[in-house]
Amino acid sequence: MVGSRENIVSFSGVTKVYRRPGLFRKVLVPALGGLNLELKRGEIAGLLGLNGAGKTTIMKLMTGLLFPDAGTVSVFGLPPSDVASKKRIGFLPELPYFYPYSTAAEALMYYAGLSGLKGPAARARVDAVIEKVGLKPHASKNAAEFSKGMMQRLGVAQAIVHDPELLILDEPVSGLDPLAIHEIRELISQLNGEGKTVFLSSHSISELEKITDRVFILVQGRLANTVARAEWENTQGGLEEIFVRTVK
Amino acid sequence: MKYLNTAWSIALHSLRENYKNRFFGLFVVFAGVLIYASLLAGVMAVDEEARVITDLGLALMELITLVYALLAAAAAITNEIRTKTIYLVFSRPVPRPAYLAGKAAGLYAAFALMLGVMALIHLSLLYFRGFVLPPLYLTAVIFIWCKLLIITSVALFVSLFATSTVSTVAITGILWTLGHFTSEAKFLITKSSGAAALVLKAVAYVIPNFQLFNARDIGAAAPPAAPPGFLAGYLLLWLVVPYLFSLLLFRKKEF
Repeated sequence: MVGSRENIVSFSGVTKVYRRPGLFRKVLVPALGGLNLELKRGEIAGLLGLNGAGKTTIMKLMTGLLFPDAGTVSVFGLPPSDVASKKRIGFLPELPYFYPYSTAAEALMYYAGLSGLKGPAARARVDAVIEKVGLKPHASKNAAEFSKGMMQRLGVAQAIVHDPELLILDEPVSGLDPLAIHEIRELISQLNGEGKTVFLSSHSISELEKITDRVFILVQGRLANTVARAEWENTQGGLEEIFVRTVK
Repeated sequence: MKYLNTAWSIALHSLRENYKNRFFGLFVVFAGVLIYASLLAGVMAVDEEARVITDLGLALMELITLVYALLAAAAAITNEIRTKTIYLVFSRPVPRPAYLAGKAAGLYAAFALMLGVMALIHLSLLYFRGFVLPPLYLTAVIFIWCKLLIITSVALFVSLFATSTVSTVAITGILWTLGHFTSEAKFLITKSSGAAALVLKAVAYVIPNFQLFNARDIGAAAPPAAPPGFLAGYLLLWLVVPYLFSLLLFRKKEF
């Protein structure tokens, strides 16, 4: 089913090396090596890997926050730094942080404005999104007063405020209580039901098992395995067993 | 047009974040207290009370806004990078030139607001003492703002390569100080020769001449006032050149 859909993101031979300052010269830290990966329209795809495997690097490359050292990344057929491709993306970074003196509603109006929404249309969209993520009673509170769960909801709200086609969510349920995890999961499924493509990373194998169609397993910056739902459903021990086998 | 809309959104947001910042209010209150405290110096000046209150008030306004401006400009972009709020900006269709222009414009507006409030406090003191509005008062306030625009542009540029906010403040603070001694530097250049003269000349060109914007120098013994067209051009040059250099550094910056 997923295989027949159009590719909206593609990584072709992508290499990324971080240059960290050292005592006398820069230290090179390889993050991704010759990565090939495709994301199909309408799917929920997951990224799984140990710490430092390159999950966040992939997401930053897709959003134009980082540039590849070799290879090409294309999003909707365009370079990720192209504003036309960014218009169609919603990004939730891991542990999102907001301006301390802005209320939730002000922050969302700001992000809506940066995404090209203006005036009453932006206001209506912000109101709808605040309602959708359950932040309506807290819309006039400063983000600095928010709990981690509320911050994550606001993070999801800013990612969807401009109604993007592709959602990139870095650890969307990290550090949340079980009820909040359930609600975020429901929201992701609902957004996918509306036709949005969702690409998310998580340390929680069970979370990915519940909502994704495919999972990419990364090992030290390389795509070690791509697992479809049918495969883990037919494997004793499920996705966890496949993951452990792959990374060992 | 979209570029301008984006820059406008960023500028408004930057202005709002500044005036909502508790330090903004604290700086204004502190300035107000000091301006009213300058009454004591005025009383001691006897016949020159109006001049002393005016000069001291303007100097306090300039110094206090300068400290705030250096801190705010040095942290404006680096804080966004440190707290990762910049991820939510550049994962959107925000051109980097628009972001830099918007950030700078927001800061310029915030400093105008701060100076405006301080000027009202200062004028209220002059009014209560029964003094008339000093000539060139508005020019003096605008000139202070022009100096702040220049140093803010430089601070934004320096913050993109400096290792910390403190080093940005230190570097721009030194430039601010040197920029008030360009006449002396020119005198030294005429007295020196060889390599020293070349170095001094080069230095003189990369340090903004803030003396051009000292309203108290207008018509006094100090350098004659430059024509408004020259001042406008000079200001524009010092806004555009650091902006272009900032853009060069920022164009391929990764987050």
